Amino acid sequence: MIFSKRILFASMAAMAAAGFAPTAQAQYAPGNEVTVLQGFKAGGGSDALAQLVQPYLAKELGVDFVNQYIPGATGAIAWTRLAKQTKSDGRTVSITNTPMLMTNYIMNDSITYNIDELEPLANVVTDPGIIVVAKDSKYQTAQQLLDDAKANPGKVTVGNSGVGGDDYFSSIMIEKASGISFQKVPFQGDGPSWQAAMGGKISASFNNLGITFPQIKAGNLRPLAVFTEERVPDLPDVPTLKELGIDVVAGSSRGYSAPKGIPAEAKQQFLDAMKKVAANPSFQKDAKDRAMVLDVKLGDDYKTYLERQQVQFKEIWDEIKDEVKKN
Amino acid sequence: MDQSMVMVGLENVLSLTNILAICIGTLLGLFVGAMPGLSATMALALLLPLTFSFPPATGLSMMASLYLAAMYGGSVAAILLRTPGTPAAAATVLDGYPMAEQGKAGRALGISLTASLVGGVLSGFALLTIAPLLGKIVLEFGPVELFAIAVLGIAIIGSLSQGSAVKGLFSGALGLLLAMIGMDPTTGTPRFTMDNINLFSGIPFTVALIGLFSVPQAIRLIQESGETKKVVSKIKDRLLPPLPDFIRLLPNMLRSSVIGILTGLIPGTGGDTASWFAYNEAKRFSKDPKSFGGGNPAGIAAAESANNAVVGGALVPTIALGIPGSSSAAVLLGGLMVHGILPGPTLMTEYGDVTYTLIWAVIFANVALFVLGMAFTRLCVYVTQVPNLVVAPVIIVLCVIGSFAINNNMFDVYLMLAFGFLGYIFDRLNIPPAPMVIGLILGHLLDMSLNQSLLIGQGSWGVFLDSPIAATLLAIAAFTILQSTPLFGWIRRSLFRRA
Repeated sequence: MIFSKRILFASMAAMAAAGFAPTAQAQYAPGNEVTVLQGFKAGGGSDALAQLVQPYLAKELGVDFVNQYIPGATGAIAWTRLAKQTKSDGRTVSITNTPMLMTNYIMNDSITYNIDELEPLANVVTDPGIIVVAKDSKYQTAQQLLDDAKANPGKVTVGNSGVGGDDYFSSIMIEKASGISFQKVPFQGDGPSWQAAMGGKISASFNNLGITFPQIKAGNLRPLAVFTEERVPDLPDVPTLKELGIDVVAGSSRGYSAPKGIPAEAKQQFLDAMKKVAANPSFQKDAKDRAMVLDVKLGDDYKTYLERQQVQFKEIWDEIKDEVKKN
Repeated sequence: MDQSMVMVGLENVLSLTNILAICIGTLLGLFVGAMPGLSATMALALLLPLTFSFPPATGLSMMASLYLAAMYGGSVAAILLRTPGTPAAAATVLDGYPMAEQGKAGRALGISLTASLVGGVLSGFALLTIAPLLGKIVLEFGPVELFAIAVLGIAIIGSLSQGSAVKGLFSGALGLLLAMIGMDPTTGTPRFTMDNINLFSGIPFTVALIGLFSVPQAIRLIQESGETKKVVSKIKDRLLPPLPDFIRLLPNMLRSSVIGILTGLIPGTGGDTASWFAYNEAKRFSKDPKSFGGGNPAGIAAAESANNAVVGGALVPTIALGIPGSSSAAVLLGGLMVHGILPGPTLMTEYGDVTYTLIWAVIFANVALFVLGMAFTRLCVYVTQVPNLVVAPVIIVLCVIGSFAINNNMFDVYLMLAFGFLGYIFDRLNIPPAPMVIGLILGHLLDMSLNQSLLIGQGSWGVFLDSPIAATLLAIAAFTILQSTPLFGWIRRSLFRRA
């Protein structure tokens, strides 16, 4: 009975959180169970990362990973539990996504955790932002879209994956960097956003490369620009925003974080293991096959990355929040 | 492309695990349906969390077969005990029970099984034919069109819900209001969440479903536990109907199946509506309408083929647009979403294998139901005898486990209990809970699509008239509402006077 096992794991995790677990040693030992809190449903983007990384990481660390899904409030329920109610013995980690990890509490006062209460371990993938339009769209290039939006402020409709998501913030960053204003239309997730673009219901969708790639390959969507430093190998003909004179690099990243103050030995062990996984050619191949763009940042690098984004998002939100709430 | 997906789905269904899942689902459905007072929706809502750990195709096959089997199981109690096991079997009582009194219980059940098979298989093939077209049509449905379809769904809830229209509307409106809880989809502002982050994503409708449909039934069972159940009739005659019987009833079954499929397509209506429609039509077409209600096999055939045909029809809007055609389809929708499969155009392409597996499962579940039904119906007689005091606590335990497992969150258990209490009040006041669930689902859609449409239309409401699909749907919605007001009768009368 797989089901009863799930319940058992869940209750064990709850007990561990409540402090009933036997005193843990400072290091991971073979056979240890490590709970991975996921703030989104099974089968979503976080789960895809878990399926990619954990088989390799489990072998390196010699532990068993147990996924626990606590979807709700764009991940905030799981991350609040991680920051506030989880014992910092390294036995519980969570998959942390940007920008939601920060925008959750920047945008809502009732969400009380913040990244200072977390120990960022490693970023693993970053799915770069992309502009896609329907295959029969009148826009052949990003320049045409931008020119049209400049000539008709607030008339060109662009979809995003929802308020607080990466595409929402990257639309605002593009608006600020170029002085253009779009009519931003939020959807419930990346899927509905590109579907609306594909059906011609909106002019364009600001989306993510990995998510739209199958439709791009099938010829249903046309990519106009990617939000990366350099062109991506899979789409050599698609320019970056930087080439178009808009200094925006954005995407959604997923990695692992633990509660603040986990034992230094455990942390080092985790980082070493992740380093080995990242260097493993068959891991790299698996990632490529699943259209996931590796962007490994370990320990302090990941921490700085999150902190820099926090400052950026807070600035943007402070500037626009009054306007948004007015609607 | 589509052709290959159809075959992949067929192969998936024929795998050993899935056949096993279908058989288990069918048996569970038979027994749950046979127990008076337990509905297919409730059984589905309780089974849903159990399927989380299965692969999507297996879990959905099991749910589809349980749904179908419970539809038939309901008629066992209807025929033998005069108590419909499920609301959809209410029409079966009229002729089924008199037949049982005449010592023809076996024949009545056999006709019911055969009619279920015809209705179910037909609706499965209807789904299989319509499904490939859906993928193309769905892209035409942007926010503007989805808003119109949500409005239409809500308009229909009011006019077609069982019992009093006012109570149905009240229940639907309450569902819409509850759907407003959570983060505003366009501004990210939390609404009515009382600063509780567990409410930020809104009320999970599967949790509401479990509470609304299961808890009141458990309470009712306990209250009725003093009354002794008596089996009026034993099954003495054979089940399998003779061929001439079958041929005579076939046109009736075909007509009723079509009625069932079409009724299923309409959001907010389910097996109960369809079986009454079909029953009335069968009576109208009959040469001997007076014999209905006194043990006419045609009455059973009509009701049973219609309520099983609803399953396929109800799945069409569910998998294409995410708008459930019935409360049971709403639970199946929950099942799809739990497995990370969102309704929409990708359902026929990216998730084509799972979707076609589900469709084939609907078809094969009917065959499994026929075979297992023939073998186990006699056993179902004993199921109807299980004391209520045993069944009720089991239901409550399953409710708690089920609502916890959906999000691994204790908050949802409390939420489920609150909905259970609300459901009990509804039950006492004869307010149907189904419109509330549909309102809860459509409310999210309505809120989101209205905001999106106005953003796309630069704040102009004219955007709804620019889209021919949306304008037509909204006109139908207006027509539906007007139909139930005195205005309509007044127009008809004045027209007739002139003529």
